[in-house]
Amino acid sequence: MKTFYKLKFTYPLLASLIVVACGGVPEEKAELQGEENVFSVEEVLEMVSKENDVTRTLYTKAIVGKGKLQGMKFDEDWRKDKVEAGPLPALFLRGVATSIKRGPVPLGLYLGSDHPVNAANKFEGKQAELFEQIKKDQEPQFFYDDSQKLHTAMFADLASAGACVTCHNDHPQTTKSDWKLGDVMGATTWQYPKDSLTYKETVAVLNSYAKGTVDIYMEYLDEIEHFKESEKPEIGDKWPQDGKYLPTAEVFLDSVKKLSSYETMKHLVSLNKK
Amino acid sequence: MFNVSPLRKRQVIGGLIGLVVGVAAFFLLTLESNESYVSIGPMNTGHETLSCYACHADAKGSLLQQVQSNTSHALGFREKGVDFGTQDVTANNCLECHDRPNDRHPIYRFSEPRFSDAIQNIDATTCVTCHSEHHGERITLDKINYCMNCHQDLAVENDPLDVSHKDLIAKKQWTTCIQCHDFHGNHRYEVASKMKDTIALKAISSYLKGGVDPYGTDKKYSALSQEEWLKK
Repeated sequence: MKTFYKLKFTYPLLASLIVVACGGVPEEKAELQGEENVFSVEEVLEMVSKENDVTRTLYTKAIVGKGKLQGMKFDEDWRKDKVEAGPLPALFLRGVATSIKRGPVPLGLYLGSDHPVNAANKFEGKQAELFEQIKKDQEPQFFYDDSQKLHTAMFADLASAGACVTCHNDHPQTTKSDWKLGDVMGATTWQYPKDSLTYKETVAVLNSYAKGTVDIYMEYLDEIEHFKESEKPEIGDKWPQDGKYLPTAEVFLDSVKKLSSYETMKHLVSLNKK
Repeated sequence: MFNVSPLRKRQVIGGLIGLVVGVAAFFLLTLESNESYVSIGPMNTGHETLSCYACHADAKGSLLQQVQSNTSHALGFREKGVDFGTQDVTANNCLECHDRPNDRHPIYRFSEPRFSDAIQNIDATTCVTCHSEHHGERITLDKINYCMNCHQDLAVENDPLDVSHKDLIAKKQWTTCIQCHDFHGNHRYEVASKMKDTIALKAISSYLKGGVDPYGTDKKYSALSQEEWLKK
């Protein structure tokens, strides 16, 4: 009986303890120890969404809107070889989203509508249901996407510039041609896997968005570099409102930061009051 | 001098033979030149020259540490277990060489909630759903009608095709899509405007099984070779 217990329990337990006692592969969470989660995912997604509003409005008004007046072209097929143009605002956002996905921050960003130019961007299911509410009150909507296990937020995407309205109304594939300034044209959808974030993770989310902005803007400038037939705008510290100019990526991002930093900083420093 | 029982003697000899064979097998099968014997099947088209380690990176820590960590996890002393031997291969491994800005259907886009029904039918959030490795092919799906999962409501203004897209969808001719459109949109080629001029389904099927590329060889981006990936 004694031998039986030794064989069945004592030896395996001792062997396991010896194995365990020697340590193992360091746990990844070690680097986050001591850092508490200070922001809810809703707060962080609202912060980054506001950065996005400022960025998109700036791009739409100051680059696309003013640029068109200077004869610059913007096209949905801007990546095609034969097309010498820049990305339209919706594709600019898609470029930001693609860049974010390439980075280490698990943030998802999408743009959709109930009347999209591209039918593939039409909301369905839960998003379509929540978008109806967004159209009524323009308030953000939050839910947990059980199938992907992701915290999800939707924010109104408004017609903030004349260029949004005219482009969408005149587009050959539009399913709605009476858009006007201030309309809720669609919504951005944001996703993140955790319900709360540390300060470091929050800053990483904001930085990944900013990097996305720079990446897609750089791609646009790179595209211009390869223009063969169209006149190339001068790239420096001037904007299209002054002539055939485009700001560098640094100048563009600086302007975004100036416009958005107050709101974001207010959130980040509010930690001291908590 | 010692009286060794024949049974014990056989056990010792058997053990020694096992040890020698085991060590030899371990040594031979871990040689890079013998990787094809370890592989569970032929590499997919374009991957023939890849080494195992290009996708199967060593797991963190030594084998002993991995045993220790997983034992700790099993006994409840550790929150998470660790990979044993090699790390799990994920879509990120594929994207290290295949990611490019012009991908018409990047996998990340399908994480959006509106695709939740579609991905029940075809999980487009990961590469291996269509490109399962070690099959010696390009596409490992049985059917090439996958466009139907998202494009049922497609409407094309000024339809350039002689048979309208609307009719093709109404007749559920979903295998015709890729006779004009390559899924990831990486080829430069003139798209036919008449159905009879589109790429034959037979040629497409052959391509998906690893044959000649009917969309042509003019591509916007090329995937990284193993050497380029190593230098990255």
